[in-house]
Amino acid sequence: MAELLLDSQIRVWVFLPIVVITFLVGVVRHYVSILLASQKKVELQQVQDSQVMIRSHKLRENGKYIPKQSFLMRRHFFNNEETGYFKTQKRAAVSQNPMTDPSMMTDMLKGNVTNVLPMIMIGGWINWMFSGFVTTKVPFPLTLRFKPMLQRGIELVSLDAAWVSSASWYFLNVFGLRSIYTLVLGENNAADQTRHMQDQMSGAAMAMPPDPKAAFKAEWEALEICDHHWALTNIENDLMGLSAPTADSMYHQNKMD
Amino acid sequence: MRGSRKSTSAIFEGMSWSDARDLLRLWREDNERKSQDVVNLWETILSKNIFKLGDERLLVLEQVCLASLDTNRLDIADKCLQSLAAEFPSSLRVRKLQALKLETLEKYDEALELLDSIIKRDETNAAPRKRRVAILRAKGKHSEAIKELTDYLKKFMSDQEGWQELCDLYLLEQDYARAAFCMEELILHNPHNHLIHQRYADIRYTQGGFENIELARAHYSLAFKLNPSSIRALYGIFLCATNIAVSPKATSPKRKEATKLANWVIKELSKRQERQNVEDSQVAALEGLISSVQLAASA
Repeated sequence: MAELLLDSQIRVWVFLPIVVITFLVGVVRHYVSILLASQKKVELQQVQDSQVMIRSHKLRENGKYIPKQSFLMRRHFFNNEETGYFKTQKRAAVSQNPMTDPSMMTDMLKGNVTNVLPMIMIGGWINWMFSGFVTTKVPFPLTLRFKPMLQRGIELVSLDAAWVSSASWYFLNVFGLRSIYTLVLGENNAADQTRHMQDQMSGAAMAMPPDPKAAFKAEWEALEICDHHWALTNIENDLMGLSAPTADSMYHQNKMD
Repeated sequence: MRGSRKSTSAIFEGMSWSDARDLLRLWREDNERKSQDVVNLWETILSKNIFKLGDERLLVLEQVCLASLDTNRLDIADKCLQSLAAEFPSSLRVRKLQALKLETLEKYDEALELLDSIIKRDETNAAPRKRRVAILRAKGKHSEAIKELTDYLKKFMSDQEGWQELCDLYLLEQDYARAAFCMEELILHNPHNHLIHQRYADIRYTQGGFENIELARAHYSLAFKLNPSSIRALYGIFLCATNIAVSPKATSPKRKEATKLANWVIKELSKRQERQNVEDSQVAALEGLISSVQLAASA
């Protein structure tokens, strides 16, 4: 096949503008999302719940280091049938439908405004404005399967798969500018398109807020079956054994266990 | 102490502003107090270069403001507060600093009012609630501070700082059983900190009684196991063991065991003493060597 020679005007008027436009749109999106971002308001109740969970978890994990009496006292505080914390604290079950929560709705709307709308509009505009150009060539041969990916908008059977069309160049830019954004805007910026895509994919699974009632019940069960084995039962002998380990005493200790 | 302070400020003289910024950042991240050093750095280097810092300027201002309140340099604190308040007129963080300044001036009632207004705006903010306790403690109203702190801990149950402070307050009131409870809470949060175990054992030993002393012995032992260079823990074990050995409540095998333990501790202590002596004599020998070398060099 004869080698293709691209007009240098394509570089100046198509190739570079697409890079610049995608980059600038990313920067603008970053600042718009900062502007629209609403501070997540945390309720005192939520803080309290999470701290209680941490404390009870620590009790299960490290309860062996405190005396049995103290362990039972704390478990009583959490788990007692009449007065226990997990029994008396009634939390309303969290509504399953996010549509009923108005703040959730505005959050979703803001997400759409900053992510999906510009994506559609700019993408459409670029497709229309720069349609039908061959902009660049990847420096390695590719198989035919890459043609629909790299040559969107140009349906030429005879064109080598290594050539990239303008529309595909735009998409490569959208997904490939992440490290440039990190360089310019810092970590965790909002300009990165791929992150939002991932968010949307997993969004359905994680949108559910944690339900304190269920968590309390689970923690109550875990604490209920938690037994107390004091870790310091034999520590003095252990200490003295360490200083003078005779085979006899070690054997003896093992038998005690 | 004074000598080292002077030498550090001498080191600061030659520093560039970016080095000073990095040092302050390190201290901020590690939560080191070093108030005097921070103020020195600010005065010698950073106050002239404040606008080179960019956005970090505000963090530095906050840090310097705290440090200057610590060292009673109200002139610096006022300047910092003014520029911070101009930048964030409605910020709760700046208001907390203002409350701290009122505390420094011992205008406690006004400080309390300010803190209350912060709590009203943001209920989940732990810092102003803790400041309230600190004010009560500074006023010497320990029982009120305890009440306030227990209320706080009901809401923020896993706040280690809070438990530690409560333990301190109970110790001031000589309420050892409750202080021990607070220490247990700290043990639950980090069970491998030997200092906490040692302190818990101290409290139990002070409480007295056969069972408490046995408990103290176990925790001293754990503290010693976690940090084998802790002489205090060793002495603790020894005291508890001798106490148990002569206690009328102990059964005879327990007494025998305690005597064994006490003997072991004595042996361990004398071993350490010997090692220390050997090291000392080695150091002395080295010093003698150096002086003889110097003599030879000068001759």
